[in-house]
Amino acid sequence: MIQTRELTKQYGRFTAVDGVNLNIAAGEIYGFLGPNGAGKTSTIMMLLGVVKPTRGEISLFGERYSPGRLDLRRRIGVVPEKHPLGMWTWMTAAEYLQTFADLFGLKNAGPRIDHLLERVGLAEVRNKRFSEFSRGMLQKLSIVRALLHDPDILFLDEPISGLDPFGVKQIRDLILEENRDGRTIFISSHILSEMEKICHRVAIIFGGRLMAEDAMKSLLSTLAKDREIHVDLESIPEGLTERIKGLPFVLEATQTENKLLVKVPKSGDYRKELSKHLIDQNLVPLSIQEKSLSLEEAFVTITQENIDLFARIGGKA
Amino acid sequence: MNERMNATSVLARRRIYETFISPGFYIAMSLGLVLAYLLVSGFVRAVDSSGLAFGLNPLYDLIGRSLEGAFGRTLVEKLFAEGPFVFALYIGFLPMLLYLAVSSVFRFGLEKKIGALELLAYGPADGTAGFLAAFLKDLLLTVIYLAVLLVFFAVTAALNNLLLGPTFFFTLVILLFVAAAVYSYGVFASTLTDNSASAVALFLGLMVFFLIILMGSFTIVSGYVRNLSTVFAWVVKWISPLFYWNLAMQAVEIQGWLLYAVSLVVLLVLGAVVLAASHFILKARGVRP
Amino acid sequence: MTSKRRIQAIAVVVLLLVFPAVSFAQVPVREEQLIYSILAFNGRDYAGTFTTKQAEAMYLKADVDNFLTVRKTLVYFWPITQDWKTDTSALNVPFEGRLLLVGPDGKDRALESTPYTYYNVRGEYELNWKVAKGPEADQAWGQYQEIMNAYWASVQQYYQERAAYEAMLSELTSTITRLRDEGRDVSRLIEVLRELKAPPEPQYPRDYVVPPAQVSEAFILNLPVGEYSLRFETLEGELMQGSEIRVVVFEKRRAEGVGLEVIPGDKWTRPVESKTPASVLYVDGSADLYLRPFFQQEYNDLYYEKMRQNDARGNPNLMKWVRIQQVPQAGIEISGPGRATQVVREAPFYVEQVKGAALGYQIVPFDPEGAHKDREASLRAFHVPLTAGDRVVRLQVQDKDGQILRSGGRQIRVVRPSRAGILSLILAVLPLVAMAVVLLRRSRVYTS
Repeated sequence: MIQTRELTKQYGRFTAVDGVNLNIAAGEIYGFLGPNGAGKTSTIMMLLGVVKPTRGEISLFGERYSPGRLDLRRRIGVVPEKHPLGMWTWMTAAEYLQTFADLFGLKNAGPRIDHLLERVGLAEVRNKRFSEFSRGMLQKLSIVRALLHDPDILFLDEPISGLDPFGVKQIRDLILEENRDGRTIFISSHILSEMEKICHRVAIIFGGRLMAEDAMKSLLSTLAKDREIHVDLESIPEGLTERIKGLPFVLEATQTENKLLVKVPKSGDYRKELSKHLIDQNLVPLSIQEKSLSLEEAFVTITQENIDLFARIGGKA
Repeated sequence: MNERMNATSVLARRRIYETFISPGFYIAMSLGLVLAYLLVSGFVRAVDSSGLAFGLNPLYDLIGRSLEGAFGRTLVEKLFAEGPFVFALYIGFLPMLLYLAVSSVFRFGLEKKIGALELLAYGPADGTAGFLAAFLKDLLLTVIYLAVLLVFFAVTAALNNLLLGPTFFFTLVILLFVAAAVYSYGVFASTLTDNSASAVALFLGLMVFFLIILMGSFTIVSGYVRNLSTVFAWVVKWISPLFYWNLAMQAVEIQGWLLYAVSLVVLLVLGAVVLAASHFILKARGVRP
Repeated sequence: MTSKRRIQAIAVVVLLLVFPAVSFAQVPVREEQLIYSILAFNGRDYAGTFTTKQAEAMYLKADVDNFLTVRKTLVYFWPITQDWKTDTSALNVPFEGRLLLVGPDGKDRALESTPYTYYNVRGEYELNWKVAKGPEADQAWGQYQEIMNAYWASVQQYYQERAAYEAMLSELTSTITRLRDEGRDVSRLIEVLRELKAPPEPQYPRDYVVPPAQVSEAFILNLPVGEYSLRFETLEGELMQGSEIRVVVFEKRRAEGVGLEVIPGDKWTRPVESKTPASVLYVDGSADLYLRPFFQQEYNDLYYEKMRQNDARGNPNLMKWVRIQQVPQAGIEISGPGRATQVVREAPFYVEQVKGAALGYQIVPFDPEGAHKDREASLRAFHVPLTAGDRVVRLQVQDKDGQILRSGGRQIRVVRPSRAGILSLILAVLPLVAMAVVLLRRSRVYTS
């Protein structure tokens, strides 16, 4: 669906994006992560055709994409991080949406507008000036605007920032629903826990360079150095932790209250062996769970490694 | 191109509607009409047995003295040769011209700053469509306002037995073309700057500069001031809408219709060139705040 | 502050104010300057001006004779009329030499001074200025002298004959009285008295409208259009310092204009001119109009003003119409709604004081045989009567053959303030009403 090849953006001597190669497949939810100043925004702006790349190519729907390709933008829906306040303050929500419907050349867009407003719970405020909307309402309106023309790809920049938990759930459900209907979703967000829940694939950018791009599970699995098994016991007898440490497959063991945290090598599943050892000790585990690396941990890992790398070579972190 | 035209059309329609529901438009219109009314009624009161006597009406006394002192008696005679309407047309048109031009410049700068242009650029639109929409809106509203002025003056002329002479009609047409060029400079100022205040300051600065150059070449003050403005004028005149306005008015005076038509065409070309420059500037600078 | 101190303060303030006023009231400073004294033809007649040392250029009409002299005199600025003047009575030193001229073609020309005179023989209905140079100037002047000498001689003769006539009249009258008293027949003497005719008064020569001036010497500049530089070279061959000056020679842009002098019946001494072609004469209709059409030419405003008076101000970007001469034997076609079309001709009129205690005058047709015998007409003009009901009167100037003169068309419109004008004000504020309606309707959208 979207491919970039050696995508680069330079502002004077400063290289904001350096040879980024992305590959976003149709129908997936693609997460785009990076700390502030990593080149995320510049990359997104180039993908949206707002900023012209210094070098490199963007391919959209199999066609070469550039800022002049206004026709291809019909197939993209964008929900920016912040809605421009002060824009068209006289318009009602319905009028605002009708404007964008007209921009996209949609005929008889009224029923679709009503349907989408209903879907996000804004039907009752359709004749209210959207400049009076709350942050959450504006975000929902922005999503409706982005969906009006039934785009193939939906770009979302921080779609849930500033929302309450209920709003977060609403947006999450909406995104998943849209994806189930076949829409490709591109999300950029700092809220990694949410990204972990919904993204099929993620890319991590740091210092203008693409650090990682993979399916979520593969990425987490690849980045995890080891596995951690959590064992819940009724009580932990004296010396148990030491004895566990002595097991040949155990790398590290610690305890917190009634929970044992045992690190084992990434390859292999050692829950059975561990369970057998505990039973031999006349201990019955209440639960044995394997905790995988979270996206947040993976993100920090990648970026910290690069910070260290930069520091060693004298670059800017 | 079709996408841009569609976007321009959609945005222009919205802007026109927005203007129609804005108080500023009606206030500017009323202000212009009231000023025109005062000038026409003052004229009627300044007429005696031999013709226009400025001293008979305080407003016209002030106008006569000011214009004659700055530009000489000849200009005053020509300005009022057919009656009050040419002068009243200039003064009556000015509030609306300023309102449309300044509000558009301010608005474009604001939209760029708050990211509204960027939002539009996510869709099948770009900054050029944005400013073309503003330009078309201003042009259409100018046509409407000139029509309103025409009707107003026609009614006023009929009520007072005054004549709308040929110079008035030629001036009406010229004003539309001059306004188009002025609006294009507004767009230019908006694309060159980063915010509304700078844009308005640049635009007004440009217009005042053009005005000073023109007035400087017209003034009857001699010496350094006029010499300096003469040098400037030779360079600046080619890009000044007011220069072509002056040329067109001279053409009307000598009934040089070819020169008149050429002046109008050049005004259009000037506007188009300035808009084209604006397009490239915006393309280079981008629409992001 | 004590009252004494207050008075002192006021006195100081007054002195401070008066002192500069006193200085301004002093005699203007006269400065000795080299000037070019110019007698320039302006299309209508000759008028004199001069250049001060601050002058950047002199301005002359193209292809006509203009006369220039170089002199040293006292120059001063006269604040009352806001212009520069010369005091030739105190200092007037003419210089002899040559004028060196460099034209737009770069060629040098040298001009020597020439004796000249100029005169006009036909007057304002037909320009006929003549310039006589060299020996012809002396001839023209001599001719004029002869005419005038003959006239003065006939005046002498007339006075002598008049004296003789008066004496005879007196003698006859007293003789008739004496003889009548004596009861004698005086019929023959009365017959002689009747037949006694006063000698005719000699007519002032009408050969010239403007008689020739006494022959003078000057540099005669008759140049084509262009810009020149001018310097003066003395008889010793030296260039006179400060004599360098630019000469702008210009021509009319259009020559076929027709203007109208408008004399209102209630202000006949304050005529106005309508020069812009197709302009409209707006009047209040309170008085008839007396019109005098004239031919006009179009010149650059600045150049023309400075040609007439070198320190005048003008607008370099405007052209102005300049009255040249009356249209001879013209007619004015008058038409309009409710009026039969008619052609009026120029006629003499007389301005009569209104009889009785009321102040004012009225303009009536001149009656040389009756009421205005032995008087001269006050003005000759075309009478355009205006009545209260007139709204539009169309005028078209014709030449002597009845052909319409291009740019000789005008309209007279009678305007008076009326209450109907308030309708315009209502129209002007109507947009505000529309605004209120629109805002109200729009607010309903938000509440629906």
